[in-house]
Amino acid sequence: MKVVKRLLTNPTSLAGILLLLAFVIMAVTASWIAPPPENARDPYMIPRDGFSTEPQAPNEKHPFGTTEGQYDIYYGVIWGTRTAFRVGVVITIFTAIIGLSIGSLSAYYGGEIDEVLMRITEVFQAFPFLLAAITLTAVLQTIYGRGEAGPLMFLAKVLALVTFGQSPAEPVDPVQLQLLTGMLAIIFFGWMTYARVIRGNILAVKEFEYALAARTIGAGDLRILFRHLLPNAVFPVLVIASMNIGSYVLTFAALSFLGLGAQRGYADWGQMINFARSWIPSLADHWYIVVYPGLAIVLFVLSWNLVGDVLRDILDPRMRGTRGAV
Amino acid sequence: MLAYIIRRLLILPILIVGVTMLIFAMLSLLTPYERASLYVQDIPKRQGAIEGIIEKYGLDDPIPVQYWYWMVGREDEATGEIKGGILRGDLGFSKVGKSSVVEVIGRRLPATAELALWAIVPMVGIGVWLGVLSAAHHNKLIDQVLRVFSIVGWSIPTFVFGLLVLMIFYARLGWFPPERLSDWSMRIVQSDAFTRYTQLNTIDALLNLRFDIFLDALKHLVLPVTTLAYLNWAYMLRVTRSSMLDTLRQDYITTARAKGLAERVVIGKHALSNALIPIVTIGGLILIGLLNGVVITETVFNYPGMGSFLAKAALSLDVVSVLGVTLFSSIVLVGGNLLVDVLYGFIDPRIRLQ
Repeated sequence: MKVVKRLLTNPTSLAGILLLLAFVIMAVTASWIAPPPENARDPYMIPRDGFSTEPQAPNEKHPFGTTEGQYDIYYGVIWGTRTAFRVGVVITIFTAIIGLSIGSLSAYYGGEIDEVLMRITEVFQAFPFLLAAITLTAVLQTIYGRGEAGPLMFLAKVLALVTFGQSPAEPVDPVQLQLLTGMLAIIFFGWMTYARVIRGNILAVKEFEYALAARTIGAGDLRILFRHLLPNAVFPVLVIASMNIGSYVLTFAALSFLGLGAQRGYADWGQMINFARSWIPSLADHWYIVVYPGLAIVLFVLSWNLVGDVLRDILDPRMRGTRGAV
Repeated sequence: MLAYIIRRLLILPILIVGVTMLIFAMLSLLTPYERASLYVQDIPKRQGAIEGIIEKYGLDDPIPVQYWYWMVGREDEATGEIKGGILRGDLGFSKVGKSSVVEVIGRRLPATAELALWAIVPMVGIGVWLGVLSAAHHNKLIDQVLRVFSIVGWSIPTFVFGLLVLMIFYARLGWFPPERLSDWSMRIVQSDAFTRYTQLNTIDALLNLRFDIFLDALKHLVLPVTTLAYLNWAYMLRVTRSSMLDTLRQDYITTARAKGLAERVVIGKHALSNALIPIVTIGGLILIGLLNGVVITETVFNYPGMGSFLAKAALSLDVVSVLGVTLFSSIVLVGGNLLVDVLYGFIDPRIRLQ
């Protein structure tokens, strides 16, 4: 509670929280402020107004203009908020779970298990993050593109269940599948910082007097783990990790911008900016393709960073600067 | 010191073997047919021929066996020629680059190196300068402004920043064009009259005394270099600031001030030289920033380097090329990190005594 109060009284974090609230409202009210056309099969596919290549400047019908292929930018920006929350939250949940499991296993058992797990973590860290994510996305898209993906389909189905609430019995929609490959790749190469920090914290906390005190009065292993170690070593990390949603959205947007994340025409900010690449010499006239979706990404990520920055100061100064830059 | 270096060197092979295993794990998810470009460039379309190739290079052997051949190469029984084998420096064939992956990397690496080399100086210089400025005016207006600048800077994706500067300085003002050279200078650079000593256009132009080409190359570098450097400014600023603040609290700084030295001397000489030590540790992170950054930056500016090749290959699902470039970059990163660790051991005696 003290943390919440400090977040609300600090002007930096308050600005972040208000900005974040605006995005939540935008995501929740998307069907009202940008109603999908009546015959739309998937509301996340941006409606098109014709097929002409030349982008249209903002006008009455399209307040933010249209991209090449006449995708409505306003619609994409609004519905893109939902995509951003989904992608960011799901990636954060999975990376945190993986990092938490590996970090606490490593710290709790120690010895050879610790040694092996930490070497594996180091190997994953030996890859430049974005390059590794791009690589795995390409591999996964090759495999899923075959239709018959075997055991790997299971991963996609788990992710589809969490992300879209889709029943595992149904086949995964190819449009969603492309989104999931990018997310899987980021998750696969994104958990290492949590594993290391959580391991370090548990090891440190284990040595503190109160853990020893709990042991001397006869508390069991589980009680010590749940009552003493987890609240002190893990929850602060998880709270701070939740602020990484912004940076995951940034990475995913980068994949989409390269054409590897969301499919063409999907309501995703990075994907929309991808359209600008064919109009670089005339960007001065077609500024709206970059500016509106770009502003959406910047403000979204900024809101998480504003809150996260203050939260980091309050909870754990050691976690500063662990976010990867893209 | 020697023991420290040896200990670091012993971890190196474990890491590199781990990296190759992870890369090969990804390769083994592909079908034998998709893996064939590890060994052959033009995969024949005829039905029987593909099976022949799979048979010849053991592409459906057990995975550990394949891993071994992927490392050391496989001998063609008919011709006695050894194909593949990453230890021999053969990463397979690139469908997108239409030659071997190693050749493509060799062709594109100079462009990326030129970009990165030009970016390092403004990146570190301006980052450290801003950090010192922030710490010297701790909690004053400049510090607050720079804090906001660094948080906002963190939040702007590279590709948005790159497109915005292109919009202003190329599309609107026409000052700095994308790509690597203008058509006219490209023709000269590729002609016989121009000797390419280093493959780095700016340096070659100077060596050939072609100052017009030097200027042209520089003009093309301004925007991508700014984009690549800006990425790390926020980070450098923060690290320098906190390191400076720690140092400024030390007794010897109070002593320096007490004996009446000018604040400029105290900060520039006494504090900065010690505050710079921890900044070396983020050398590895800067390298990661550069390796990640070139992919996006080169793609935005249509700059013909390794990063834009990776993005193009990934988009056409040319997995062998993508994995080749990633393997190469990871080795660069592992080597760079080792260098940083050793360097740090030299600079700060406390580290090697631990």
